[in-house]
Amino acid sequence: MTPALEIAGLTKTFGEKVAADHVDLTVPPGSFYGLVGQNGAGKTTTLSMATGLLRPDGGSARIFGADVWSDPSRALAMVGVLPDGLAMPERLTGREVLTYLGLLRGLAKDVVAARAQELLSVLELDQAEKTLVIEYSTGMRKKIGLAAALLHAPRLLVLDEPFEAVDPVSAATIKTILRGFVAGGGSIVLSSHVMALVEQLCDHVAVIDRGRVAAAGPLEQVRGDRSLEDTFVGLVGSSDTGSRGLSWLSR
Amino acid sequence: MAVALTVPRTMAAMKLAVLRNSMSGQKAGSIVMGGVLGLVLAGGTLYAAFQSGDLLAAAYAVWMLGWIFGPVFAGGGDETLRPEYFTSLGLAPRRLAAGLLVSAFVGVAPAISLLALSGLVVFGVRQSPAAVPVALPAVLLQLAVFVLLSRVAVAVMGLALRSRAGAIGAGLVNGAILAALGQGWVFAVALGQTGGVPAGASAAVRLLPSGWGLTAVEAAGTGEWGRAGLALGALAVLVALLLATWAALLARRAGSVKASARGRRPITAATATGAVMAKELRTWSRDLVRTHQLTFAVAYGVFFAAAPLVLGWNAMLPWAGPIFIIMAAAMSANLYGVDGTELWLTLLSPGAADVRGRQLAWLLAVGPVAAALTLGLTSVTGGPWPMALALTAALLGGAAGLVPLIAVYALVPGIDPHRRGNNPLRSSEDDGAMTGLAYAVLVLVALTGAPAAVAAALYGWAGVAVGVLTGGLCLWGFGLLAQRRLHAQGPELLHMMRTGKRPAAKPGSWARFDDLPKREQIITAVCWSLGAIPLFPQGIVAGVLKVNGTEDRSWFLALHLPEALQWPVIAFMVLLGLGVYGLGLWIPYRRRTR
Ligand SMILES: Nc1ncnc2c1ncn2[C@@H]1O[C@H](COP(=O)(O)OP(=O)(O)OP(=O)(O)O)[C@@H](O)[C@H]1O
Ligand SMILES: [Mg+2]
Repeated sequence: MTPALEIAGLTKTFGEKVAADHVDLTVPPGSFYGLVGQNGAGKTTTLSMATGLLRPDGGSARIFGADVWSDPSRALAMVGVLPDGLAMPERLTGREVLTYLGLLRGLAKDVVAARAQELLSVLELDQAEKTLVIEYSTGMRKKIGLAAALLHAPRLLVLDEPFEAVDPVSAATIKTILRGFVAGGGSIVLSSHVMALVEQLCDHVAVIDRGRVAAAGPLEQVRGDRSLEDTFVGLVGSSDTGSRGLSWLSR
Repeated sequence: MAVALTVPRTMAAMKLAVLRNSMSGQKAGSIVMGGVLGLVLAGGTLYAAFQSGDLLAAAYAVWMLGWIFGPVFAGGGDETLRPEYFTSLGLAPRRLAAGLLVSAFVGVAPAISLLALSGLVVFGVRQSPAAVPVALPAVLLQLAVFVLLSRVAVAVMGLALRSRAGAIGAGLVNGAILAALGQGWVFAVALGQTGGVPAGASAAVRLLPSGWGLTAVEAAGTGEWGRAGLALGALAVLVALLLATWAALLARRAGSVKASARGRRPITAATATGAVMAKELRTWSRDLVRTHQLTFAVAYGVFFAAAPLVLGWNAMLPWAGPIFIIMAAAMSANLYGVDGTELWLTLLSPGAADVRGRQLAWLLAVGPVAAALTLGLTSVTGGPWPMALALTAALLGGAAGLVPLIAVYALVPGIDPHRRGNNPLRSSEDDGAMTGLAYAVLVLVALTGAPAAVAAALYGWAGVAVGVLTGGLCLWGFGLLAQRRLHAQGPELLHMMRTGKRPAAKPGSWARFDDLPKREQIITAVCWSLGAIPLFPQGIVAGVLKVNGTEDRSWFLALHLPEALQWPVIAFMVLLGLGVYGLGLWIPYRRRTR
């Protein structure tokens, strides 16, 4: 079966800093894939290269067999992306953003209108009908970004930190949506720092450490009989960082 | 007391540290370029100090206006240290303002202005040594006035840009002032040819706050100590007032810009291009900075063309439309940069013609107003119809083609709109590059009108056809080039906006100004800013004057020489100017990366 996302040897160097060092990942279709790693490990860099937003120094990325860099129209039509911290059309309202993006993706006008309505009400953004995106809170920005990623009914979702700054109620909604998406045959790759969340949602996981894949595979296989957190700290943490306190804070 | 002093000192040290970092980074290019240009202007001012008080007062008026309007149109001014950085410290507004003021004096622009203001000392020495003790405090107070005026102007604009009415009002006022200045310059040249600055103007430039320092020095030079003290005192009071105003405005800066609360009309487009257009048009009307820019462009065009009405001369009226188009183009020069990282959405839909949508939106935002101005005002004067129509058509198409093209080829990374903090004018960290881009667009768009203008001047109505043709060609061709570039270099452009840095040059291309060693940067900048002097005034203008047999030699070197030497010197000056420009080109060419 063609993998939903196949990353082979993706490499990116910023000046001296190797942000991604021959990253290989295979996301099987229908899987819910979690990407974990410390701050600055290279998750955003890898996901950006896999979705055509950052040109790699080497390596390739394929979405359902279509190469992101040599056949972008076909590859990118099958993916929905939620990047971390990028701007949206800031002077539009949520509904206008979705209308704009739907039309940009070539959807028919009435399809866009119906989907936008549904997404806005499920994500509880329809109360803020008159609010421009520039006035949204951080969590609302994540939600409109997710709505934008889902709008054109992609087969693969690539989500960079989708739960950051999202309140617990909305997080529950998003989890339900994402689980439904996978149950319906879709595939998801998400990055997160929250091990409990990845354990709860994902069936596959990859640990990225300093630009390399430290471990990857089905969740059960990667974590063995330990918790994912222990596995993660064992893989990327140095021996004593976790236990050191701040001397001047103790009284 | 210790704390009172540490706040400004710490802030000044912070600013120095940031400046030092940016000198080794990407902004170094603009800083060097701006610095060299500033030095040339400061040199001119010092020259004026050796000439006459009137000239010096006029020069300081120009410096003051630069301090006020520079930041309004070039990205919000110096914001190395932002008030928001210090909110959590709970400083009293006046302490914060004092600290920020001290740090505001650290920088290239204040240093260069200080040099220009040292002309006061020069002037004082020329009058009488007794004037020097007055000149020294006058220099410092005058600099404080400049820096503070600039800060207050930015703060006032920040407040104005919180409401639509404020944005439009500010656009009208700024347009009127700058247009009057533009025309005032023309008047000055006209008056200058009949000899001397008129008495009214000479009094006026001294009445402006920029002239108070000079007034004090002049008074001291003639022994009028009371008058000198009064002028210095007035400067000190003004500084105190401005500081208090700025402190008050800083306290009100909290809370970011509200978008306009206009009725939201649903998007009715049905195609990708239509959607881009709808988005752009909404951005034009809802982003109050853009509202201000468009209003400014309209006001500038109208007031510039209408100013000669004061003299009972209406022949300039038909040019309001073309001037408006050129200004509007310059204001939207960084079309993609100001949207920041929003570009990722365009990259994800490679099939959608983003450039075309933006071009159409630009035409829809600017075209009707331009057409109305041209048709309305040309019918007031009754012509010349062919020229007005030809230029309007050619410039509209030229601008709608060039703006996106330059925006993708010379993109200046912008700050994402939602991260701009509380200074809505601050759309980029590199305001030097933004200013350069605006001027480049100004000149290039004006050039796209040239063929139509020539045709209309020679053949009348045929010029209109030429204008429509070149306009259409620019719109189509430049748009196509922009679209190609956007597809080919999209990820690089996005990366540039994400990091705020321009990437290193690709092999085979010319070295970028930013990548040159600092010494060569300075040489290149000097070449570019000084090359014009031998080429234009000393070469071409002197030649034209000689052909016309003008008596006035003023500062045209060649005309002061014996007849036999005049043409050779003119030719030498032209060659020298070309050579200097050539050197400015050759340095980056020689360093092209392999
Ligand atoms: N434009 C850039 N220039 C220089 N270095 C960069 C750039 N972008 C990223 N890096 C570096 O590359 C490394 C990987 O960054 P990346 O953003 O991919 O990490 P991440 O895993 O997403 O981290 P986080 O969990 O904090 O989001 C970091 O060390 C970062 O400093
Ligand atoms: Mg990240």
